[in-house]
Amino acid sequence: MRLRAAGLLLCVAVLAVSVLLSLSIGNQHFGAHDVYLALADFSGSDNDRVIRYLRVPRTAAGLLAGAALGLAGALMQGVTRNPLADPGILGVNAGAALAVVGAIGVLGVHSLTGYVWFAMGGALVATVVVYLVGAIGRGGATPVKLALAGAAISALLGSVTSAITLLDLSTLNEFRFWVVGSLTLATGPVIGQAVPFIAVGIVLALVLGRSLNQLALGDELARSLGTRVMLVRVMAGLAVVVLAGTATAIAGPIGFLGLAVPHVARTLVGADYRWILPWSMVLAPVVLLLADVVGRLVARPSELQVGIITAVIGAPVFIALVRRRRMAAL
Amino acid sequence: MLRKSVLPVLLLGLLAGCGTPTADNPPGSTITVKNCGIDVTVAGPPKRVFAAYQPAIEMAHALGISDRLVGTAYLDAEVLPEYAGAQAKAKYYKNLPSREELLAANPDFVLSGFNDVFSAGGGSDESFGSRKSLAELGVQTWIFSPLCPTADGKGDEAIDPASVTMDNVYADLRGLGKLFGVEDRAETVIADQEKRIAAVEAKVKNAPRPTVAILRPGLEGGGLTVSGGPDFGTVLIKQAGGVNAFADLTAKRNVKIGVEELIKRNPDYILISGCCDAALTPASTQPDVDKLLANPAFQNLKAVRNKHVVPWLFANHSAGVRGAYTTEDIAKTIHPDLFK
Repeated sequence: MRLRAAGLLLCVAVLAVSVLLSLSIGNQHFGAHDVYLALADFSGSDNDRVIRYLRVPRTAAGLLAGAALGLAGALMQGVTRNPLADPGILGVNAGAALAVVGAIGVLGVHSLTGYVWFAMGGALVATVVVYLVGAIGRGGATPVKLALAGAAISALLGSVTSAITLLDLSTLNEFRFWVVGSLTLATGPVIGQAVPFIAVGIVLALVLGRSLNQLALGDELARSLGTRVMLVRVMAGLAVVVLAGTATAIAGPIGFLGLAVPHVARTLVGADYRWILPWSMVLAPVVLLLADVVGRLVARPSELQVGIITAVIGAPVFIALVRRRRMAAL
Repeated sequence: MLRKSVLPVLLLGLLAGCGTPTADNPPGSTITVKNCGIDVTVAGPPKRVFAAYQPAIEMAHALGISDRLVGTAYLDAEVLPEYAGAQAKAKYYKNLPSREELLAANPDFVLSGFNDVFSAGGGSDESFGSRKSLAELGVQTWIFSPLCPTADGKGDEAIDPASVTMDNVYADLRGLGKLFGVEDRAETVIADQEKRIAAVEAKVKNAPRPTVAILRPGLEGGGLTVSGGPDFGTVLIKQAGGVNAFADLTAKRNVKIGVEELIKRNPDYILISGCCDAALTPASTQPDVDKLLANPAFQNLKAVRNKHVVPWLFANHSAGVRGAYTTEDIAKTIHPDLFK
């Protein structure tokens, strides 16, 4: 217990370092002192503007989207007892992205607050559809069937998103970020609007830790221990939709983060969701921010979108998990 | 149909060439002009021309072959006023036709303002197929020479920067003039272009050379797309007495950069390259200009401080007969005191 708490503190320290790296490394590198001055004593110089108006928003986006996706992944794995659950793999992010692109491209929504609602609506619909498709046939919603249904629905939703972006070539550049996630998408005001949503999602997720532990024993046993299984499922689903939907609204669809990070957390702290959830919440933004920093450095003067980097890191993890023998259920 | 008639004539021509060194072009013989390393051979002036993209459409009108157009596709902006009447009469496709749709129009010649319609394997939805595959069907093709890829079927990633010149636009005009039997008209167009560009160059000769960035809109999204060295904008800016701020990025015509790179380069002028609608005018890009001017990250840019962010058109910096017009246009923007 004490060890896991100390470890969590260590994770927070690592996160702080990642934030500093994200603020200081990029097209130009700044020292910690430059960063401090830009934040504490803004002079309006080029450096200050780059840090304050470009690096701070993308770092904040990384923190929020990372925490949200880490939690959403852990929740999904817990509530479905499915080691392959991830908002990217199960189509939640693709649904959210399609809803946003549809809102911009077809309905002409340009108010940034509007994005979040559409993203959550899209996330909800995609989640339900993937679950229903995955549950068809014998054996119900097994992990691999759900993952396959998620992949198929993601591909379908992704191609519709591409189709909409192709219909309107003049705004293709703006839209491309909805096909692959990026932390440069969101500006300050959008991130500000996202904070309350993420906060609600975090609270909702963290209070579910104990119930998820009981759910891990199986529905029957959980019920006999007094857990209201259906209520827990609905609450968790709600939290996933809010978290993954909002994360997609600020950063586009980012895959694999919600898959890999909870597994890392589980390896480090064991099967207790009261610890897996907060560890995932802190470790996911570390991975996302570092992936974004890498993306800034490998293709200069251009940048690789962070969604590409997380896919490159995450796909092998996914394959390893699928190949693992005792993957059938958590 | 054409294929059947061309081959025997071509063979005859070859035989004649071998046997009788004195043979001149007898009436009815073929004409061959090289374009991007490919021999373009016609038995007589093509009569059914499909023009893809703004530069091809405008060049067809400039050469006076508007009445031979069986189709025009994908304008980036309003055509220049002198071609508006002719374009209003032409059949227009908003999007590029598929290979099948193109062939259904039964063209004998496809003139393309960009190389991408012939890139990728033939038959995909966004491609007319390689030039070779079209030639096999009796359809001759032409790419604007400043965009020649190093091999048939390749695209923008394979442009030789040395070919990006106004001289290559003139070479196209001459070559097409020969193929279409409108050589005099071609020479008139060339003379007009040369005269107007020379006039601008003379005027800006001793002026300082401001840096100019050509930027695609979509500025809120994160990354930016700018015109790199192989883009024709580099030539046009130079003629107008400026320097493309991103000329050293030579991998592609359209280069993606991070936002921070624009701040680092701090160009004197930013032209917003609005695109892709037949009714587009520079004023249509004003919202993107306003967005850029309002972005707090850009407040120290010289172009922002001096309000030198200009609503502009993608059509303006494409290789073609807009060369003179755009050279004058940029020069007026970046050397206002010389063009009062």
